[in-house]
Amino acid sequence: MTDPVRATPDDSTLVRVRGLTTVLGGKTIFDQLALDIPRGRITAIMGPSGTGKTTLLKHITGQMRPDAGEILVHGQNVPGMSREALYKMREGIGYLFQNSALLTDFDVFENVAFPLRQHTALPEVLIRSLVLMKLQAVGLRGAARLMPHELSGGMARRVALARAIVFDPQLILYDEPFVGLDPVALNQVLKLIRTLNQTLGITSVLVAHELAAVQQIADHVFLIANGKVVAQGDPKSIAADGSPWTRQFFGGEADGPVPFQYPAGDYASELGFVGAVK
Amino acid sequence: MSQPRSSYAIGTGLFIVLGFAALAYLATQTSSVANVHQGASYIIDTHFANIGQLKERAPVKIAGVRVGQVRSITLEPGQEVADVKLAIEKSYDRIPLDSVATIYTSGLLGDQYVGIQYGSSKKVVAPGGTLALTKPAQQLEEMLGKFFGAGGVADNLGGTYAVTANFTNIGALTVGAPVKMAGVPIGSVQSVVADPVKLDAKVTLAIDKRYNQIPDDSAAAIFTSGLIGTQYVAIQPGGSPTALKNGDEMILTQSAMQLEDLIGKFLVNGSPSDKKDAGNGKPSASPAGKQ
Amino acid sequence: MNQRRPQGRNVVTQSLAQIGGCGLFLLTLLAAIPRSFRYLRETIRQLWFVGAMSLTIIMVCGLFVGMVLMLQLYHVLSIFGGTSASGMVVALSVYRELGPVVTALLFAGRAGTSITAEIGLMRATDQIDAMEMMAVDPIAYVATPRFLAGVIAMPLLCCVFCAMAIFGGHLVGVTWLGIDNGTFWSNMTAVVDVHTDIVNGVLFKSLAFGAVVTLIAVYQGFTTPPTSEGVAYATTRTVVASSIAILALDFVLTAFLM
Repeated sequence: MTDPVRATPDDSTLVRVRGLTTVLGGKTIFDQLALDIPRGRITAIMGPSGTGKTTLLKHITGQMRPDAGEILVHGQNVPGMSREALYKMREGIGYLFQNSALLTDFDVFENVAFPLRQHTALPEVLIRSLVLMKLQAVGLRGAARLMPHELSGGMARRVALARAIVFDPQLILYDEPFVGLDPVALNQVLKLIRTLNQTLGITSVLVAHELAAVQQIADHVFLIANGKVVAQGDPKSIAADGSPWTRQFFGGEADGPVPFQYPAGDYASELGFVGAVK
Repeated sequence: MSQPRSSYAIGTGLFIVLGFAALAYLATQTSSVANVHQGASYIIDTHFANIGQLKERAPVKIAGVRVGQVRSITLEPGQEVADVKLAIEKSYDRIPLDSVATIYTSGLLGDQYVGIQYGSSKKVVAPGGTLALTKPAQQLEEMLGKFFGAGGVADNLGGTYAVTANFTNIGALTVGAPVKMAGVPIGSVQSVVADPVKLDAKVTLAIDKRYNQIPDDSAAAIFTSGLIGTQYVAIQPGGSPTALKNGDEMILTQSAMQLEDLIGKFLVNGSPSDKKDAGNGKPSASPAGKQ
Repeated sequence: MNQRRPQGRNVVTQSLAQIGGCGLFLLTLLAAIPRSFRYLRETIRQLWFVGAMSLTIIMVCGLFVGMVLMLQLYHVLSIFGGTSASGMVVALSVYRELGPVVTALLFAGRAGTSITAEIGLMRATDQIDAMEMMAVDPIAYVATPRFLAGVIAMPLLCCVFCAMAIFGGHLVGVTWLGIDNGTFWSNMTAVVDVHTDIVNGVLFKSLAFGAVVTLIAVYQGFTTPPTSEGVAYATTRTVVASSIAILALDFVLTAFLM
C-alpha cells in the first residue's frame, strides 16, 4: 500500500545512523557508529553476541536514547523526537521480538487486532477481515482462536509477524527471527520475510547469527564489532572480504579478534602464584 | 471475541452493584440513618417521666417476647415527660387500653427495653393511640441511693439560657457534660468554678431555650451514667408555677455520689469511711432526699 | 540481566530509594490518567480481575472476622453483663479498623501479588516493549488501568467485607448466642455515624489503602529485573511493603480522621 521508493525517489536511504555513541554500564556499546539502511531492501546486521545489535534496533525505534549521534528515520532525528512524534513514527514500524512477545491475555486474533483496536476506530467487520488477511498471509488463519501458550515457537513468531505487519509498515525490524526454530519453521519465516519484502516493498532489517539464512535473503550485510561497522557489503562478497573479523565470524573460528577469553586479570596472579613467588 | 469482553463487563458491573449495595446497607441499616426503618407495624404513643437509657430501636416486649421496637423518643418543649413512640408488630393488635408500659433494664449494665403488661380492659389500643399507664425507668441510683443515668450529649439547638446551681461536691463533672430532664438531654454544663465565698462549686447550666417551663423549685442533681460512666446533671422538676429564667439560681441541689461510699454503705450498711474523699459525698442515709 | 539489587547500599538508602521511586512512579501514573481514558475497557477488565475475582475471599474472610469478633466480645462482655453492646462494638471495630485494614491486607495478597507477577512476566516476555513498539503507552495501558481498578475496587470490597462481618456478627450474636435482634441493631445504629465511621472509616481509608497497595504492586512489577528470580522477589516485596504501608498509613489516617 505504501511505496517508499516513490515517496522520496531521490533518497534511497530509509535509516541513516551517524556518529552513534552509546555507553551502557561503563561499557562502550557503540563508538561513532555510522551506517545506512537502504529502502526496500533486506539488510542484515550481524556481529558477535553482546555487540549491541538489539540495542541498535532499540535506538532506531527510540526505545533507548543514545549518548551521542543521530539516527534519521524518514529524515527525522529519532533521539530528538517528542513522545507523540515517537509513537506516531512507531505506527509505521513493525518490530518482531526475539521471543515473539505476544500478549498472553489475548488469543491470536486479538493479538493481531491489538494495534488496530488501539489506534483506529474501524468497524468490527473491517478489523476482522484485516486480521484474517494478515493471518492468512502467515498461514495461520486457522489458529485465530488459539491462545499464545498453545502455539509452537515458530507459530508464535509468525503470529508476531502478522501483528507487526497489520498496519502495513514501511520498515520491519526483525530481532533474531531464526533463533530456536526447527529447519521447517525457519524456512517458513525466511520465506515470509522475503515475500513481505518483495510483494509489499517493506524495508527489512534483521539481526541474525544464522549465516546460511542471511545469505539466502539479505541484500546487504553489516558486520558490527567493537562498536563499529567492521565490514559491509552483499552477503557473497562480505564472506570473501578476508579481514580478520569476517574470517573469524563467517569462518566460525573460536579465537580471533573476538577473544575466547573474557577480559580478565592475570591468570597466574589470580590463582595466587604471584604471592607464592614473592 | 466480544463474548469474553461482555462477560467481563457484566461481571464487573455486578461487582460494582454489589459493592454499592453493601455500602448502602452499611449506611442505611447499621448507622444512625437506620432509625427511620419501617416494618409492618403500628404506632402506640406512651409518655414516660424518665426513659433512663432507653434508645430508639430498643425492643418492646410482652411477657418477655419481642413484639416491636421503640420508634422515636422526643421531649416536647414545655413538658417534663418524654414522648416515646412504640412500633408494635401488626399481629399484636389486641393490647388492652389499660395496659402498663414499663421501662426495664436487662441486667445491671444491660440495655433497657419497654415491657407491656396487659390490663383487663375490653378496649384495645388503636393504631396511633396512647397507652396512658406507664412506669418510668427504674433509676438504679434512686433505688440504691441514686446512681444510674443515661449516655449521650445534648446539642445546644436554637440558643440556650443559663441557670446556676451550687453543689458541695461535683465529683467528676466536667464542662460540656449533659444536663438531662426525664433522662433526655436538654442542655450542657457551661462552666464549673469554685465559689470563693460559699466554698462550694458553682456550676452554670446552659439549657435549651425550648425548655423554658422548668419550675424554679426544681432540683439539680449530679448523677453517673452507669457504674463507670461519665457524670451528668439531672433536673428533677418541682411544682412551682413560676419557671426558671436566665441567670436564676437553682436552690435545691444534690451533690455527686461517691461510688465507694455508696457501695460500701449498700453492701456493709455503714462501712468505715476511711477513704480520703469520704464525707465529700452526700450521705446515703437519705438516698432519695433533697438537700 | 541477573543482577540483584546493588549490595553496597544499606537497607535505609535502599528503602528510601524505593519510596522515592514509588513517589515518582505515582506522578507518572497520575499523568497518564488522561491518556488511559481511551483504555476504559482495559480498566473494566482489570476491575474484574482485581475486584470481582477478590470478592469470594473478601466475603468469606469478612464473615469469619465478624463471627469470631462477636464470639470473643460476647464472652468478655458477658462478664460485665454488657453483651447487648457487642453488636455495636463489632460494627465500630469493623468499620473503623478491621474492615479497611484486613481488606487491604487480603487485597495485597490476592490482587497485589498477581499484578506484580503479571507485569513482571509481561516485562520478562517483552510484552511491555512490544506495546511500546506498537505505539501503545504501557503506563497508560498497563499501569494506570490497574491502579484505577484498585482504587475503585478497594472501597467496594471493603463495604462488602464490612457487610459480611456485620452479617457474621449477627449470625453468631443473635442467632446462636441469643442477643436480642432489636438490641443488636439499636445499639449499633445509636452509635455508628455515617460520616465518622462509614465515610471516614470505611470509604476514605480503603480508598487510600487501595491506592497504596496497587501503586506498590504496579511499581514493583515495572521495576523488577525481568527474570524469574526478579519476579519472585518483587512479588514478595509487594506483600511486605504493602503490609507495612497499610499499617503505617492506618495509624496516620486514624490520627487525622478520628
